This record gives sequence, C-alpha cells and structure tokens, in this order.
Amino acid sequence: MILTGSAIGEAVKAGDIVIEPFNKDQLGPNSYDFRLGNRCKIYRDYQLDSAKENLTIDYDVGNDGILLDPCRVYLFNTLETMGSTCYVPIIRGRSSVGRLGIFIDITADLIDIGSINQWTLQLHSVMPVRVYPGMLIGQVTFWKVEGEILLYSGKYGKFQSPVASLSFMDGGPDAVSSIITI
Amino acid sequence: MILTGQAIKQAYERGEITIDPFNLSQLNPNSYNYRLSGSILQVNNDGKGHQDFERIELPASGFVLRPKTLYLAATHEIIGSTKYVVTLLGRSSVGRLGLFLNVTADLGHAGSISQWTLELRVVQPLKVYPYMLIGQLAFWKQWGSIVEYRGRYHKDFGPVPNQDTSLLSSEDK
Repeated sequence: MILTGSAIGEAVKAGDIVIEPFNKDQLGPNSYDFRLGNRCKIYRDYQLDSAKENLTIDYDVGNDGILLDPCRVYLFNTLETMGSTCYVPIIRGRSSVGRLGIFIDITADLIDIGSINQWTLQLHSVMPVRVYPGMLIGQVTFWKVEGEILLYSGKYGKFQSPVASLSFMDGGPDAVSSIITI
Repeated sequence: MILTGQAIKQAYERGEITIDPFNLSQLNPNSYNYRLSGSILQVNNDGKGHQDFERIELPASGFVLRPKTLYLAATHEIIGSTKYVVTLLGRSSVGRLGLFLNVTADLGHAGSISQWTLELRVVQPLKVYPYMLIGQLAFWKQWGSIVEYRGRYHKDFGPVPNQDTSLLSSEDK
C-alpha cells in the first residue's frame, strides 16, 4: 500500500516520516519531490573494481551547476534529510527529469527502513545535460510494511552523503569462497 | 504492502518464499541480497538486430564489464514465491559503481521459481566477481485471486536470452 500525499504530510507531522526541510508545495498526490544537494563525487579512475575501494574526487557544485558526461557516474547528496521508521521509501526521478534522459538511481531505488539521512543519488545521463544544486530532481514514495520492523544499522548511515560504494567491505572473492561451495 | 526482513524470513520458514541457498546474513530491513551467477552471456550484435550470445565463465580474479554492452547474468539463488510478488533491484553499493541490474524489467511474476535472469549494463568499466553480492529482492503482498505464472521463463536456470519469437528479427526465427 502506497501513501497518498496527504498521508505523507500527516506522517511528517506525527514524526513517522522525516523530511527536513519540509515544504508542502513539494507534496504530490502520492509522493514528495526532493531536491539535488550540492556535494558531488566522481570516481578518480574510469575503470572501477567492485572488490576494491575506488577513490573519488569531491566537488562542491556552485550555482553554475555541473554538466553530466554520459560516460560517468555522479554521486550526489539529496538536499533533504529523509527517512522513516514506519514506512519503506522508494525513490525515482521526476518525469520532468526522466524526459531529459537523467537517471537518478542505478537500479537501487529501495531505501532501508530506518535509514534517515541525506541519501546518495547515482546520477547518470543518456546525453550531456547540466544539473543545478537545489533543483527538484526526484520523488520519494512511502509504502506500508507487513511484519516486524528491524531498523537499518548498516555501513552507509555513518558518513556524510554522498558516500561512494562500500562494496569492497563485502570482503571480495575471499569472502565468497568461504560462503559458496559449488 | 512490502515485507520486512523478518516477514521474509518467516515466509521462507513457512515455505511460502523460495530462496535457495538461504543465508540469514543476506537479510536486510526490507529485502534480501542475492548473488551473481558464476557465468554470464555477453550479447553480441551485428548492428542489424541479429544477436548471438557468448558464454563467459567468470574467473575468480574477476571480469571487467564494458560500457555499451549488454550482458545477461542470473541470480545464483533459486528465487520465487507462490504467494508474494517479487521485485528485483540492485544493491546501492553496486548502483554507486554504475552497474544496472535490469533494463526496466524489475517485476517478477508470482509463481515463477527460478534463477532469475539479470540484464547487466555498466556506465564505466567495472570488474565483477562470480557469486558476489550484487542485488536485492523485495517481496510484496498481492490483492486478488492468484493465477501462477506458467510462461516461457518460469523454470529458468542460468541466464536465458529473449524467447519471444515475435521480438526476433526474421532471420533469427
């Protein structure tokens, strides 16, 4: 079950959903529009390795924005701090942004319940396009859950967003060989 | 309604959800992390719509996926449910590296219990490893009478290319 815009607004008032800053003009019929932050990370090297730490170059993006190169991934913070201890958030782009060929996540739209922070967006564009900090970039929906809730306590909550991939903490091929027996 | 991690675990224990092998350490607050298969298919295209598939056994030392190339992989686990609907997505750790796990085809059919085919595409070259934790599954309650999926892909094992002949070029039919 998906929450309506008015249910999102009421849950924010009740403290069951965090959206900070909250602006009721950004509420849609069944989602909330969020803004792009100004902190951006790009990987230093073009070729990446999922078992290693990939170093990043950090930018504070000014009012002139940044031109997205289709050959790169851009990690951005959301301007808002968001999350919920009661509902599961799912993010997506606004259709206005999708029509420009901008992905705001790379098949990672599901947020863990209890993950309350500025989320890390994975920006990728089909064609070169300029984006600006503060622009309305995406929307978040909230979903009712079935079952006992255990809140997120994972690795990404400890850092200021955007956070580069921590997949190297999975342990790489050595960890796999200790778990998988073929 | 989306199932919490605890509800996924209980449904698994009741036999309403299949995840084989199942590992408690892969359970998240509202999803389950799945692993990449040991081999993938690289989709080669002659530029005129004719495709062929090159099987690649992923070496333990890793394999670099290239941009502008489509790869079909599979989940290591056999996954499905007769009661809940499955959606497949990537992990954020993997999305942050620019790896798409599907091409806008994230919805599973209830009753399809198989190794699910993944559609891999990278933005930047990325080294991946066999059996790495690569994506996650969410489970959803459904409303209405249930007709289980008995379509062409419902008993897939390993990555399976498109089987819809209406989508093949005339040369390939």
